[in-house]
Amino acid sequence: MSVGTQSYQLSDYLEKLPGTTFRKLYQQPSTAFAIFRRMLPPLAKIFVQALLYAPSPLLLKQLDVWVKAEGKVQRDRALSILRSLHIVSISAGKDKPQEVYLTTNFQNSLRLALEGGGSHGSFGVPSTLPVDPTIDIPYLDRYARKKWEDILHYVVNSVGVHGDGGSGGSGSGPKASVKDLLLAGRLVERRPNTKGGIAITQAGFTFLLQEANAQVWTLLLLWLEAVDRSSAVASGMDSVDMLSFLFMLASLELGRAYDTSALTEPRRNMLPSLVDFGLIYIPRDPRQYFPTRLATTLTSTASALRSVSSAFAAATAAAPDDGTVAAGTESRGSVIVETNYRVYAYTSSPLQIAVLALFCQLNMRFAGMVTGRLTRESIRRAIEYGITADQIISYLAAHAHEQMARTAATVGRPVLPPTVVDQIRLWQLENERMRTTPGFLFKDFDTYDEYQALSSYAEEIGVLEWKSDKKVMFFVSKYEQLRDFLKSRKSSK
Amino acid sequence: MPPKRKAAAATAGAAKAGRASAMSTPGPATPRSLDSSVMSEAEEDFDEDVTEAQKKREDILHKEADEFVDSWKLESNRFQAKGKNTHYDAATHYFGSGKRDFSDLQLKPDHRNRPLWIDPLKGVIVLERFNPLAEQATDFLTTIAEPKSRPTFLHEYALTTHSLYAAVSVGLRPRDIINTLDRFLKTHLPVSIREFIESCTQSYGKVKLVLKNNKYFVESVDAEMLQKLLKDEIIGKLRLHGAEEVTTSYAPTMGALVIPGTQNAAGVHQANLRKAGKAGEPGEETELFATLNAEEDDEDDKEAVHAFEIADVNVEQVQKRCLDLGYPILEEYDFRNDDVNATLDIDLRPNTSIRPYQEKSLSKMFGNGRAKSGIIVLPCGAGKTLVGITAACTIKKGIIVLCTSSMSVVQWRQEFLKWSNINPDDVAIFTAESKNKFSGNTGIIVTTYSMVTNNRERSHDSKKMMDFLKGREWGLMLLDEVHVVPAEVFRRVISSIKSHSKLGLTATLLREDDKISHLNFLIGPKLYEANWMELSQQGHIAKVQCAEVWCPMPTEFYDEYLRASSRMKRTLYAMNPTKFQACQYLINYHEQRGDKIIVFSDELYSLKQYALKLGKVFIYGSTGQAERMQVLENFQHNPNVNTLFLSKIGDTSLDLPEATVLIQISSHFGSRRQEAQRLGRILRAKRRNDEGFNAFFYSLVSKDTQEMYYSSKRQAFLVDQGYAFKVITQLANIEKTPDLAFATPAERRELLQRTLVDNEKGTEEDVETDDLFGKVRGKKKGGAWGNGVRRTAGTLGELSGGQDMAYIEQNKAANRGLTKKAQKAGQSAFFKKIAREKERSRVGK
Repeated sequence: MSVGTQSYQLSDYLEKLPGTTFRKLYQQPSTAFAIFRRMLPPLAKIFVQALLYAPSPLLLKQLDVWVKAEGKVQRDRALSILRSLHIVSISAGKDKPQEVYLTTNFQNSLRLALEGGGSHGSFGVPSTLPVDPTIDIPYLDRYARKKWEDILHYVVNSVGVHGDGGSGGSGSGPKASVKDLLLAGRLVERRPNTKGGIAITQAGFTFLLQEANAQVWTLLLLWLEAVDRSSAVASGMDSVDMLSFLFMLASLELGRAYDTSALTEPRRNMLPSLVDFGLIYIPRDPRQYFPTRLATTLTSTASALRSVSSAFAAATAAAPDDGTVAAGTESRGSVIVETNYRVYAYTSSPLQIAVLALFCQLNMRFAGMVTGRLTRESIRRAIEYGITADQIISYLAAHAHEQMARTAATVGRPVLPPTVVDQIRLWQLENERMRTTPGFLFKDFDTYDEYQALSSYAEEIGVLEWKSDKKVMFFVSKYEQLRDFLKSRKSSK
Repeated sequence: MPPKRKAAAATAGAAKAGRASAMSTPGPATPRSLDSSVMSEAEEDFDEDVTEAQKKREDILHKEADEFVDSWKLESNRFQAKGKNTHYDAATHYFGSGKRDFSDLQLKPDHRNRPLWIDPLKGVIVLERFNPLAEQATDFLTTIAEPKSRPTFLHEYALTTHSLYAAVSVGLRPRDIINTLDRFLKTHLPVSIREFIESCTQSYGKVKLVLKNNKYFVESVDAEMLQKLLKDEIIGKLRLHGAEEVTTSYAPTMGALVIPGTQNAAGVHQANLRKAGKAGEPGEETELFATLNAEEDDEDDKEAVHAFEIADVNVEQVQKRCLDLGYPILEEYDFRNDDVNATLDIDLRPNTSIRPYQEKSLSKMFGNGRAKSGIIVLPCGAGKTLVGITAACTIKKGIIVLCTSSMSVVQWRQEFLKWSNINPDDVAIFTAESKNKFSGNTGIIVTTYSMVTNNRERSHDSKKMMDFLKGREWGLMLLDEVHVVPAEVFRRVISSIKSHSKLGLTATLLREDDKISHLNFLIGPKLYEANWMELSQQGHIAKVQCAEVWCPMPTEFYDEYLRASSRMKRTLYAMNPTKFQACQYLINYHEQRGDKIIVFSDELYSLKQYALKLGKVFIYGSTGQAERMQVLENFQHNPNVNTLFLSKIGDTSLDLPEATVLIQISSHFGSRRQEAQRLGRILRAKRRNDEGFNAFFYSLVSKDTQEMYYSSKRQAFLVDQGYAFKVITQLANIEKTPDLAFATPAERRELLQRTLVDNEKGTEEDVETDDLFGKVRGKKKGGAWGNGVRRTAGTLGELSGGQDMAYIEQNKAANRGLTKKAQKAGQSAFFKKIAREKERSRVGK
């Protein structure tokens, strides 16, 4: 659920791109830099650093010298990543020894990024216009959080119930375009009999369980794919350019205003969608735009990665500790599961409560805490949504309160009560015992004899699945032979 | 005084308003536990063996009380009319359409250092166990609230009328309760809770019921309050005429009371020592302790008390009426100043010391130097008997002990002799076999509920004995296993035998039929409830691993099961061959480990089949007394007898410290109490303090049958106490068990056929009566089973004559004549003495 998953998703997407796309992408120093920071394992970074200012290509054998014998696996992995991202090339000569070198575009762009030369504007052009002083970092954080939580709320299907007097961060829900995106990505699906008409899917729950950063990427990739599919050339949007724009956004500075006019036309067209996602904020004067923390943390390195929520926690810690804000931001390490299936969550975030409500029967809510319990019904409901027992368990484990971790460590037992974990799994198994057989129901016979004759014939030929003498009906998997049998029986009479 | 009284009158007015509204909206059955409001409410109660007729009658009897209780519930409009939550956000609707969203309660700035939350609607309190203040808060909460759930991290308690009643009766003042609660709360104390506490506690303890010279008096320090009661249309009539209108005397002043067996028993002033012991600790804690153990030594006690007399038969009626008026009657016994009743020479043996939690429970009872009536709840094996005996040694007056069976009568007597220095002649037994009286002018009588309430033909001896019991004033009535006895029986016991104080003892104050709520009126509030997990961590009771083993039903059994009648269903899921195999496997496994195993089955047919097939000993209702003793001795001492099959007669009061493993193959529907009681059989395991020792509790359930549903219901209590039931779906290597029974389909079919045939002809045989009198009846039988002896279902009420209204009439007459009889009962020196004493005290006034 951590960086691993996230990077994997992005790299998945990137690996599918052809080499020409990469060449285009690497024209932007910001992209090269972002990929370098974000996508590479440490060993690969070392390789890149070594190659960056190397005067001539490096012999592949030399690389082997750098790596210990037991690190060969990592070396191969690093190289394969570098190659798949078209960062390095390996010359394939039969008589010459193999050489490794950086691809030209990448090398140039990364050098530019590090040296800071050029007028590419790849790292954004700060706005020279006066900046509204009320737009500070906490303000942007609140804004981004609200936007993002709106989206998550929509996913957990909790929006629009008390949305109007909302003080806790939920407005009228995300824009229709975002909703469509979520639907297209099958994070939610339409279900006629649920409130709001939509319900979360298994993929949606996986999405919810992700780190905020990974969630953002998931959504952005969905967006890119949607653009690819619709081949929105008309609007001038191109997924490669969009991607490099996203990498550019990631390199911007939080709390700073940037100049909209410095952007190309297609990129300006992207702004409204990015506003919908909460990645950027556009003040009343549309000549400026502000990246939010969601955008600037897009390509933070693995170790430096802070979940958006913890970043918010840090940001809002300065605010008066009235309990509601501070407690609400502790989305990690807040849930206690007791052996008697009671669940206590130290949170006041409507979003986390909504997530809990997916599989818990909630009981009481206090400022900063909610109580509930896991019941057979609540788990069963979650499973009907497609959420799996393992997902629930890993959610509870990932969010386990520090007290649970501490106690577990002293006794040497797992963090979650094993009985509860087992029971959740058993509840899921309970639902998987049903077997379905497509087939045909025979009923409304003229006489009981007819029913008897037909059903016993069906039994003889082995197609009978179920029968009830009392209700005078039976169910078969195939009907052709029965039809013939019935015909011959009728004609013989 | 006057302003206080005004406030009280105002609440009484409010009470009426609230009551009216409660009655006009007949809600569902009052939810007893917190869960019922959250979980499905449509739960059937199969628990008690009560006939329809009796149920109905009980219903009528309790309806009024219920309505009253409802009107005092925190949820009633009287407390909740205040402005409603206007705080809404996206998550609010998850909490009962926002009804249970209390996030608008502002947190205090230092809320992290405080351990409690409170639900202003139902008074549910959530306690953080990992908070630094948790220990103190736990102490405080056990006094003022009912524990609901006590697992590892967060505990839940509920503030109820009764729990507050209990709090006041141990000497806490409303002001203290509110202040302490507020101190522990993370939020500010909600207005509704404050009002609830005030209105519940204000009037408690104002009116007392005291027994003086074998007569009941309603007593109060507030003369005007008494006048008001006298003017009441019901109570006014019940006042005994002839006596002076209102008597006035002086309340006894407090002195130091020392509960024997405690560390303080060395004759040191208890309160002083306590304070000294706590002096080193932070101020708040000391203050709290002072509050908790506050010995009421304010000036009020010096005031005059006023009293009027009421007739014995009307006691309950007056109690109920006073409750209706909002002045619940408090029963207290100032035993140290009772010089009318002879003092019993009894003390704990010098080497006896009681455990801290026993001491705590007793300090609740004797908190202000007087004995209060109430119930102490301790897990099985945690030494309830010793608590009872210590209470007896503290009061040192005539003691009557009521138990559930003649077996436990013998045990109680032995325990008395073991722990105290009482003269063996002073401990008498009153059962069907022996009807002794003690030698001196006072002593201890141990008897059973059925002996005392039996109103059928009595032998001359027992009639004489009953008259003796009724004619005396007892200092303390010890009621063992209070949870098993229907309210009806208590009512009769309490109206026929007069005691100054009553102490109920039980492990599980639970009944599926909610009758326990009336114990509050009949005996008194719950004074103390121990925490099972804590006791087991401290090594007072054994650590137990609980497991639920799921046994799938073979197809042919399940087919039959779906078609069968409900009785046959029970037999079928007990006879499930997979279950049999699991049982066999577990017995094998644990016998090899050297464990002693008890197997419980409610279902007699399967009990016999299992035991015979596996070649193990078994005991059930019809087993003769001698045979039982023999079997039990063998189980305890014979290394070849390691497994014992028991029917439900073994559920309670069976002391087998050797047993370390318990397997349950069939049980009584969803009875939480039975589950807890059965677990109790292995809690006193001798080896409990061995390193790494664990007792094992297995519950075998047949998959996809009603048993699964009942099983989860049964476990509710233990799970809330912090026990974790592990579900086992597959026993490893079960197929390798030597001589595994029913391994082939043919054998299973044969078993099924036999089960069906056997049970068709004699389903009646299967009915076994409750443990309470199963033994009594068992004795009458020849002891041979399976030879066509018919047993019929019965209830305690029936057997003890609960169905027979004539009893009450008779009893009334008997009670009225009591005084006269006692006076002219010339034949016994004892009665002469009583009469003399009474005469003297009357003249003295």
